[in-house]
Amino acid sequence: MNTNRTAISTKELTKRYAEDILAVDRLDLSIQTNSIYALLGPNGAGKTTTISMLTTLIKPTSGNAQITGLDIVQQPDEVRKRIGVTFQEIVLDPDLTGRESLDFHARLYGIEKSKRLAKIDELLTLVELEQAADRRTNTYSGGMKRRLELARGLITNPMVLFLDEPTQGLDPQNRAKLWEYIRTLRENTDMTLLLTTHYMDEAEALADRVGIMDHGKIVVEGSPRELVSQMGVDNIQIIGFGNQDQFCVYAKALPYVESFNASNGIIQIGVDSGNRRLVEIVETANKSEFSIEDISVAKPSLGDVFLKYTGRQLRDK
Amino acid sequence: MNATFLLWQKHMKRALVHPEEIVGMLIQPILWVILFGVGMRSLMGITNPESGNDYMTFMVPGIVALTAVSGAIAGGSTWLNERLIGIVKEYLAAPIPRLSILMGNATSIVSKVLIQSIVILIVGMFMGAKLSANPLGLLGGLLLIAGYGIGFSGFALAVASSTDSSEGYHMMIFLLQLPLLFLSNSLYPLETLPAWMRIGAYANPTTYVVTGLRQITLGPVPTMGSAANIPLWICFAVTVGFATLGMYMALKAFMNAIK
Repeated sequence: MNTNRTAISTKELTKRYAEDILAVDRLDLSIQTNSIYALLGPNGAGKTTTISMLTTLIKPTSGNAQITGLDIVQQPDEVRKRIGVTFQEIVLDPDLTGRESLDFHARLYGIEKSKRLAKIDELLTLVELEQAADRRTNTYSGGMKRRLELARGLITNPMVLFLDEPTQGLDPQNRAKLWEYIRTLRENTDMTLLLTTHYMDEAEALADRVGIMDHGKIVVEGSPRELVSQMGVDNIQIIGFGNQDQFCVYAKALPYVESFNASNGIIQIGVDSGNRRLVEIVETANKSEFSIEDISVAKPSLGDVFLKYTGRQLRDK
Repeated sequence: MNATFLLWQKHMKRALVHPEEIVGMLIQPILWVILFGVGMRSLMGITNPESGNDYMTFMVPGIVALTAVSGAIAGGSTWLNERLIGIVKEYLAAPIPRLSILMGNATSIVSKVLIQSIVILIVGMFMGAKLSANPLGLLGGLLLIAGYGIGFSGFALAVASSTDSSEGYHMMIFLLQLPLLFLSNSLYPLETLPAWMRIGAYANPTTYVVTGLRQITLGPVPTMGSAANIPLWICFAVTVGFATLGMYMALKAFMNAIK
C-alpha cells in the first residue's frame, strides 16, 4: 500500500513509437495523493501517451512509473483495479443506455449487484443524468456523454482518476458543470486526479499543480500561482518593427524588467507595474528606433508562462 | 471467465437492439439454401432425379461453413469498429485478462453461427436434405461448427487487430474467404478435383469440418462420392487445431497492436 502520500510517480518514463518519434521523453513526475494535477500542453505534446502508459494501455519503452506504489509494467492488473479513466475521444457504446453503460463497466470490475445499483443511481444523480439514464447513449449531447463518462470513471471508486481532455468540445456551460464535479471529488474524497488539457483556464481553475508539457517533456512545473508569479507582476506585450535587437538590449537592461521574451514577432516584458512603466518602455523603443504597432498591458496568465517556456502560443500546433 | 461472459452478453445484446441484424442473420442462410441449393439441385437432377436431393444433402455442410465464415467476418468487423471508435480502451483499462476480450468476441460470433447453422439444417431438411437421426451426430456437428467458427473468428480478429482501415480489412478477409469455400470439398466431391486442387483442399480446414458433418450430421450421399475418406477423429483434431491456431493468431496480433 502507498504510504508516502505519492499517488503517481514516474522516473524517466519514455515512449518511442518509431525510431524518430519520441512521444514522451524521460518524464519525471511526482503527484501527491488527493491533489489535482494538470498536464498542460498543445496537441502532440505527449499528454495522451503519458496517460496511456499510466493507465496500462501501452507499455513504456523505458523508465518506470508507479500508481499508488504499484508498478505499471510489473503489476498492471493491480494498477487497473485502482484507477478510473476517461479518454480523450468519447468511447461510449452507442447501443447501450446510460444506465447499461455504467452497469457493464461496473461488472467488468466485478462489483456486486447491490453495490452496483446503488452506486449507479448515486452517480447518475451527481452528473444529472437521471432523466436520460434509460435512453441509448447515441441520443445524448456531447456534454451528456462527457458527464456519463465521468460517472463511468467514478463507478469503481478509483484511488486515481485520469481525465484526458475532459472538457474538449464542450460549451462553456457544460465545461463549468464538469469543473464543478471535479472540484467536488477533490473535496469529498481522497481521490487523486490527473487531467490533461490544452485550455489554460481549465488548468488554472482546477489544478493544485500544473506541469507544462512540450515535446514529451515537462518544461516547468508548479502551482498555477507560483508559475504566474514567476512572470513578474504585469506583462507588457509589444508588436512592432524596426531595430528590434537594439530595443531588446536596452529593454533588458532596465532595472524593473523581471522577464523578457521575444519570439514570433511578439515581445513580452514582465515588469513590476505595467501602467507605471508603459511610458518608459515606449521611450526606450523610440530611442532604439523600434516602432511600436501594438502595445498592451496584461496581468500574467498561464498562457504567458507557456509562451515563456516553450516560445510558442498554446494554440500553435 | 466472467469477463468473457460479459462481453459475449454485450455482443449478443447488440444483435437484439438491431432487429435488422437478426433478420439478416436468419434470412441469409435460408436464401443460400433456397436460391443456390435448389438451383444446383435442379441442375444435378437433370440426369438423375434422385441425385438432386442427394446434392442438397451434400451441399448443406458447405453452406454451414460459408455462414460461419460470414459470421466471423461480421464479428471481426465489429471488433475493428470498436477499436477504431476507441471502445476497446474501456476493456483494456479494466482488470480483465486480454484473452477474455477476444474470447468474448469469438464466442458471440460462434453463438450466432450456431443459431444460423441450426436454421440451415432445418431449412435444408425441408428442401430435401437428409439429416442424421442420431442426436449425438447433431451435437458433434455443432461442436465441429463451433471449432471452425472460433478458428475463423481468430483469423478475422487477427486481421482486424492489424489494420486501421475498414476497406483493408474486408479486402484481406475476402481474399481468404474465396479459397476457403471453393478450395475444399464443400460444393464438389474431392474425387472429382484435379490433383493440385485436392492438395489445396486437404490443406483447408473447411474440408475437415464439411467431411465431419457429412459423416455424423447428415445422411449418406452415395452418389456424391465417399464422405468417409478422412477418419472422423482427424476431422475433429484438425478443427480443434484450427480453433487454437486462430485464437493464437488473434491474441498475438492483438498484443502486438497494444504494444
